Amino acid sequence: MRGMIQQLIENTDQLTIVDMEASVEHMSRGTVRHVDTLLIVLEPYYRSLETASRMIPLADGLGIKRVFAIANKVRDADDQAAVNDYCQKHGIDVIATIPFDMAIAAADRAGVAVVDYDAAAPAVMALRGLAARIKAA
Amino acid sequence: MKIAISGKGGSGKTTISATLARIFAQEGSTVLAIDGDPNPNLGTALGASKAELARLEPLPSSILTEQKSADGTTEMKLSQPIEHVAAEYGVHAPDGITLLLGCRVDHPGAG
Repeated sequence: MRGMIQQLIENTDQLTIVDMEASVEHMSRGTVRHVDTLLIVLEPYYRSLETASRMIPLADGLGIKRVFAIANKVRDADDQAAVNDYCQKHGIDVIATIPFDMAIAAADRAGVAVVDYDAAAPAVMALRGLAARIKAA
Repeated sequence: MKIAISGKGGSGKTTISATLARIFAQEGSTVLAIDGDPNPNLGTALGASKAELARLEPLPSSILTEQKSADGTTEMKLSQPIEHVAAEYGVHAPDGITLLLGCRVDHPGAG
């Protein structure tokens, strides 16, 4: 895996998006040598936040230029506060918050991409904002 | 731009990967999407057709070849241009996205 994906990333001129193995522990310096942006998806509950805070120093150690966290499935102000508190305390840079969105499960049930199911779904709109921020960062 | 997306299983990383890919592609980028998850379902999340997904197979290790570098270490390199790899093994997803399925290649000393 490592050699393969590394070579693909290294050789393409296209904008490349890699859906990685679940954990940063599985990544090697080699795999991510040509990755310029790593997004770590976290959820607003303690074990997920803990996992993310363990991943971020590992990711930094891999020498990736930009490492950002994304808070996903955020349901309400309490969720947001939990993420903010934890991330502030642990120095985690959250670049985007994606709201919990029924459209994602509905799209999955329908067997279609969520952008095709509802291009204006709240989660999709939040991801448009994220895309713009990644481009600008 | 080369973006990797990571997160625990069930965190939504595949949906986020796919949706970002579609958004960038709709905004005019030519996007290469690579599924590096051992339990791959990026293609479905991208909205690729069943016919395309049926053609999707892990990249064979034969597209890599061992090359000795100047310092004596060996490195895996692509044995053919990536355009060939994409044309032969890539499948089409909406908005002109090419999807490749990464595969596990175990070889000591790499990475």
